[in-house]
Amino acid sequence: MNEVVIDCLGEACPVPLVKAQNKLKEMAVGDVLIVQIDHSCAMKNVPEWARKDGHNVEVEEVDDGEWEVIIEKTH
Amino acid sequence: MSANGTASSIQRSPSSSRARARRKPKKNQIPVGILVLIVIAVIGVLLSLQTNNTFLFWMTGIAFGFILQKARFCFTASMRDPYLTGSTSITRAVLIAFAITTIGFTAIKYGAFRSGLPIPGMGYVAPISLATVIGAFLFGIGMVIAGGCASGTLMRVGEGFWMQLIALSFFVIGSLLGANHFGFWKEFFISKGPRIFLPDVFGWFGAVVVQLLVILFLYIAAVKYERAKTNQ
Repeated sequence: MNEVVIDCLGEACPVPLVKAQNKLKEMAVGDVLIVQIDHSCAMKNVPEWARKDGHNVEVEEVDDGEWEVIIEKTH
Repeated sequence: MSANGTASSIQRSPSSSRARARRKPKKNQIPVGILVLIVIAVIGVLLSLQTNNTFLFWMTGIAFGFILQKARFCFTASMRDPYLTGSTSITRAVLIAFAITTIGFTAIKYGAFRSGLPIPGMGYVAPISLATVIGAFLFGIGMVIAGGCASGTLMRVGEGFWMQLIALSFFVIGSLLGANHFGFWKEFFISKGPRIFLPDVFGWFGAVVVQLLVILFLYIAAVKYERAKTNQ
């Protein structure tokens, strides 16, 4: 199992989502992707997309206004 | 916005349930919140002593910002997410908002019309032409790059996302430039288009029905689109 962290701190709304989508595509099933974000809109649309796509998703607020979206690739 | 510090109640994957050390203890934001509430109330009282309207604007502005922030109601995402993620949940929320405004504004306008008063907001019945389409397209590109439309950018600046302060600054500069040149565009392009007020065409009742039907059609299309996208 691999764990990949992508740093999207300071990136505005669609950028973290696009980065997460591209990264997840090149990862293997069972790998975990951690997206670090500080944009409240991305905090909603990254997990929403990943869940709709059928992956296991968890959101953790690591600091005030700073989140980690943890995505486990399931397929 | 972070009163709860722990992980959310969403499904956990066994691999990611490891304990993650917090980098630094989080500050309690409740005192600041109470302070902000008091400042809002004091400014509100001061405004209501001056004039009637500014207090109303102050309170609706704050309420609007609060709802935007809590609901993550984002006009940019409503146009962008269907393409990016296939999700139309925000698109449908915007359509519902349009439907409610249609009914509300028709009631206001019709009320004024019935009692023989000048109909409010008729200055916003602007001519439509190719300029509208081009302008909307340019605005769309801009708001996706900036990561928010006017309301979304303002709301995120309030949240403390400083990157969008740049977007806001240039939004102000662009608006000032646009307002400065508006006379030229209006004379040569905008005023050439037809000015359509739906109640003049379909009648008051007909206009509401037609507009709600268009919104309903778009809503159904959004649901169908999302199903088609996520079933792949």
